[in-house]
Amino acid sequence: MEPQMAQRTTLLSRLCVVWLNISFWSVFALASILFLVLGFPYCYLFDLLGRNRRRTLWLIRRTIANYGAVTIRCGWPLVRVRYVDYAPQEKPPFIYVANHRSASDAFLMAVLSVECVEILNIWPSRLPFVNFISRVAGYLRVREMPFEKFIEAGSRLLAEGVSIIAFPEGTRSGSCQMGQFHGSAFRLAQHVGAKICPVAISGNEHIPSRGSLVMHPGRIVISKLPAVTCEQYKELNAYRLKTRVRETIQKHLDAQSV
Amino acid sequence: MIESELIQAVNDVFADSFEIPREKLTPEAQIFGDLGLDSLDVVDLVAAIQKKFNVQVRDDERIRSIRSMQDLYNYLSMIRNEQKKA
Repeated sequence: MEPQMAQRTTLLSRLCVVWLNISFWSVFALASILFLVLGFPYCYLFDLLGRNRRRTLWLIRRTIANYGAVTIRCGWPLVRVRYVDYAPQEKPPFIYVANHRSASDAFLMAVLSVECVEILNIWPSRLPFVNFISRVAGYLRVREMPFEKFIEAGSRLLAEGVSIIAFPEGTRSGSCQMGQFHGSAFRLAQHVGAKICPVAISGNEHIPSRGSLVMHPGRIVISKLPAVTCEQYKELNAYRLKTRVRETIQKHLDAQSV
Repeated sequence: MIESELIQAVNDVFADSFEIPREKLTPEAQIFGDLGLDSLDVVDLVAAIQKKFNVQVRDDERIRSIRSMQDLYNYLSMIRNEQKKA
């Protein structure tokens, strides 16, 4: 009887994966088309009538966040997303620093519900869709601009109240172990005295896995941890600061996996 | 043969400037991969090394080929020998 039960369970889990991928990618494609066909003309019209660049950028970023929020729900009920804010009283703007396990991380940031831009590596810019959206929304392409320009642009955004999201590993780890952190976001924080908010993402290593588009059922938890203020890090150099933040995230992830 | 005092001095720079635990500072440790320094941290590292060893290495092209702690020990040993000859 036992091998039969195991066989049935395997079959059921395979069916779940097939169902998840059919339903997720269909809804995702539909949401993406609607986003492009309706979202951007709406923003363009708003810009044309309002003639307020700042308001238009806010609307574009809001629209992208809504698109992200829809995307992360496309896998429901086989993929569930839980957001935990450990310091809800803290007010943005922040420099959010998150671990990076999967391509879904960028979409998952929609749960933060603040006006924000992401710091992009080179490879996402090679995807035409992402390239277009990131340019329109004013995302920071850290590898394609001189470091001084990056600091200047980042400082301006934070002064306007826009938060910045960084995945300082630079590439997806694909596992539960974090890679080393790059220091650009931390140097920006030190330059302007911005609050750094660590964000720990767990459970999405296979949603989808690195180098694959196959979604697997699972439960994703996004934890927004208490921010590190300028007062707390003013004695640290950029290396020490990034190491401390990395340890904070790793500690939280380790505690979750126990 | 690299002097142990030079190794000790280089390790002091890493421990003091970057709070890297000494047990991680092995000759085979990769400065970028294992110790987690990035290109901007290297600027701080060069400044700290210049101060510690009283040398000017910022514009030396040979720095670019340093990958591991062993490479760094060898490089600084070479610089020290060059200084002695001069």
